Amino acid sequence: MVEQAVLAGVRVLSLEQVHVLPWGTAFLADFGAEVIRVESADHMNDRRSGPFPDGEPGEEWWNEGGTFAYWGRNKESLCLDVTEPLGKEVFLKLVAKSDIVTDNFRPGTMLRLGLDHDSLTKVKPDIITLSCTAYGHTGPWRAYGARARTVDAVCGLSYLTGYEGGEAVRASSNYMDHTGGLNVAYALLMALYRRRKTGKGARIDLSMYETGVSCIAPALLEIQQGIARPRLGTAHAWKAPHNVYRCQGDDRWIVITVSTDDEWQRLRAVMGDPPWAMEPRFHTVSGRWEHRGELDDHIGQWTATHDNEALTHLLQAHGVPAGAVLTARDLVANSHLREREYFEVFTNENAPHAGPRVYAGRPFRIPNIPEALTLVSALGQHNAQILREVAGLSEDEVQQLLDAGIIATRPKDPARPAATASRSDGRGRGTWFDPDYKALVRDSIGPLAAAPGSDD
Amino acid sequence: MPGLLDDVRVLELTNDLSGAFCAKLLADQGADTLKVELPGRGDPSRHEPPFIGGEPHPDRSTLFLAFNTNKRSITLDITTPTGRAVLLRLIVERDIVIESFTPGYLAALGLDHEALRQVNPGLIMTSITPFGQTGPYRDYRGSDLIAQAMGGFLYTTGQTDRPPMGTALEQTAIVTARNAVIASMAALLQQRETGEGQHIDVSMMEAVVSTPPNFIHQFSFTGAIAGRGFGESAVLDGMHLATSDSPVTLTTAGTGGNPMETWAAFLDEPRLLDPKFNSRQGRTQHWEELLALVEAKLSRWKARDFMKEAMDQRLVVGVVQSPEEVLNCPHLAARGSFVVRDHPDVGTLRYPGAGFLIDGVNPVAGGRAAPRLGEHNAAIYGGELGCSPEELAVLRAAGVI
Repeated sequence: MVEQAVLAGVRVLSLEQVHVLPWGTAFLADFGAEVIRVESADHMNDRRSGPFPDGEPGEEWWNEGGTFAYWGRNKESLCLDVTEPLGKEVFLKLVAKSDIVTDNFRPGTMLRLGLDHDSLTKVKPDIITLSCTAYGHTGPWRAYGARARTVDAVCGLSYLTGYEGGEAVRASSNYMDHTGGLNVAYALLMALYRRRKTGKGARIDLSMYETGVSCIAPALLEIQQGIARPRLGTAHAWKAPHNVYRCQGDDRWIVITVSTDDEWQRLRAVMGDPPWAMEPRFHTVSGRWEHRGELDDHIGQWTATHDNEALTHLLQAHGVPAGAVLTARDLVANSHLREREYFEVFTNENAPHAGPRVYAGRPFRIPNIPEALTLVSALGQHNAQILREVAGLSEDEVQQLLDAGIIATRPKDPARPAATASRSDGRGRGTWFDPDYKALVRDSIGPLAAAPGSDD
Repeated sequence: MPGLLDDVRVLELTNDLSGAFCAKLLADQGADTLKVELPGRGDPSRHEPPFIGGEPHPDRSTLFLAFNTNKRSITLDITTPTGRAVLLRLIVERDIVIESFTPGYLAALGLDHEALRQVNPGLIMTSITPFGQTGPYRDYRGSDLIAQAMGGFLYTTGQTDRPPMGTALEQTAIVTARNAVIASMAALLQQRETGEGQHIDVSMMEAVVSTPPNFIHQFSFTGAIAGRGFGESAVLDGMHLATSDSPVTLTTAGTGGNPMETWAAFLDEPRLLDPKFNSRQGRTQHWEELLALVEAKLSRWKARDFMKEAMDQRLVVGVVQSPEEVLNCPHLAARGSFVVRDHPDVGTLRYPGAGFLIDGVNPVAGGRAAPRLGEHNAAIYGGELGCSPEELAVLRAAGVI
């Protein structure tokens, strides 16, 4: 990382699996902390989940997965068995030289391993620990597990989500992992700030459930006053037109969200002031909302003859809030995101045959704080370096650990996952495949000048 | 306990929910946070229904109340020369300004980051806009639904045979704010080392693109274009299933790699052992049959009993809880998740905490509910800036505050 990285000198040991915790610690790694992913050769959930380059897991498939790269970005890998006494001893040596230890085991596991907060403070009094669990370390549900989709249900977000007048629908495949991961990074930065100020460590008990609950705060205030929030899909409680409308092509859509009379008049003008739109019942906000079904039908007939992206630019140029419903493919090709250099185009040297691939980037730019994706570690890539330089072990001691199977660079079970594994990762039945994706990915690698021009 | 950020001073100059929530995430941890609002009208969310008590009132919108705890409010018209001068005085001892104007708006008023740094070199400015400060869309108008659409999220929500559905309650503002507070904290840690303040450019569209289910790298790895219908045929993997009361959702987690044996035993339904259900593909192919078998058994359960029984056996399931059930959840009560705030107009309400405990305690600091419009004018202008009552009267008469 760069020399003056804001978190240079901060060392994080992360016993992390799957999504929510890795997403959180990735921000610290981006800001220059040395985040050491402490992995087990027995558990390859993240590394097994794909997608693999062009759908085919290779010889060293555990170093090739796209989702592992996305959530594991900029972290070092130490493949160490902390359940063995020798492994635990080494881990505690590392803790003495670290600032933060994070885990997402179920509550009680770290205690059983002798690696809970109180045990760690004996070797590092000002340690910050963060345990990221489904329901937290206290309370009657503390032993329960979760997945993003079960949290979506339990926290109340699914209940509020659905088509207008329809039943409750899960809001997302893994939104709860993302919003939870963002909360992990926030909590850790808070604790680091306090430690720089006061020298005090912290014990953070973060739950996915409570993070989810914090996402529906207005509905929780409302229900205390007996106000029930209806499911509205893409409609709005008082705005109209405010919906998604069909456009030219297969499964192409645009959203239009009009708040004011001024925006309505602008929309009307772009449509060519058709006679139906001049009717007095559409003149006011309340009139439009009352007759919104009819309004939506008329607008939908108009949008159906337009390309959704071209229409977005036309409407926005006239001051009408509108946006095309973009797909992953549309986004990778998008001129705005390209001009902002939003995407990460990264070649993982640990997956040589994969070549460069495109990843979502960070949604913020901080001039003196770079956050580029520069490293996706192979399993155990940093074993020797970390054990020698941080834990102070000799070459012989490292070799002994390797011989004893306490450290490793290969999974215990190296059998290749099925090629289809990459096709089932949290996606809907409506998922389809673009046979020409490689051309678009190649195209996104070149300088901006090589990208297609503005899609206006 | 003192707030973690009790030596941090924030000024919020926003007119959208992501800016408001970003400032709240700092204010709730003890940062002294001043919300600067337009005289007479205030934050637009003050006018968003529903309202506590039913009637429109600028201090009673639930959106406003939820996103603005622990802040103080002053009114100020920064488009007037006097207002601009007052803002420059307020900026002097602030660490972070959060703003959400259209790119170029503050520069036109002589209040962009460069100008503000003249009076406060350490000032961090966090700018949150629908599409960012640069690029061809920078002047485009945004909304929650537009961010869902342009960020690629909307296309992936809903049923395959219906239009995109969208998600509830301004989640685009929430993920944007969470990203913005992370960037702001990084800049603050750097500012404490170097004394320099940075200008942060946060884009809502980009915050949403980085949020959906991994779909950018899935495209670049395999050409997959994530579509609608997740959970649609996944009986054991996310579908909502009927019980005798609330719907539940099942997973194959916690089954030790033997989902069908485990669920067949739990539900007492040996027909689940049919080899055609063994693989995920098989379960998808025969999902209607599987659904009928599972729901017939689930119809004998109440959702909460089912959840307890399954979770006690270390299976991983969920119940679709209503906001009311969440509010009354015994687990959240035992953890002290909610904080209680009094408000002169809306009374005592319980608000969700941050989502974590620090050292066993809910870290949300301060005891303030969301401020009334201009509630702290006298304290700030009269107290901190030392304006005389006469000066205040002049500012008020001129419509500056």
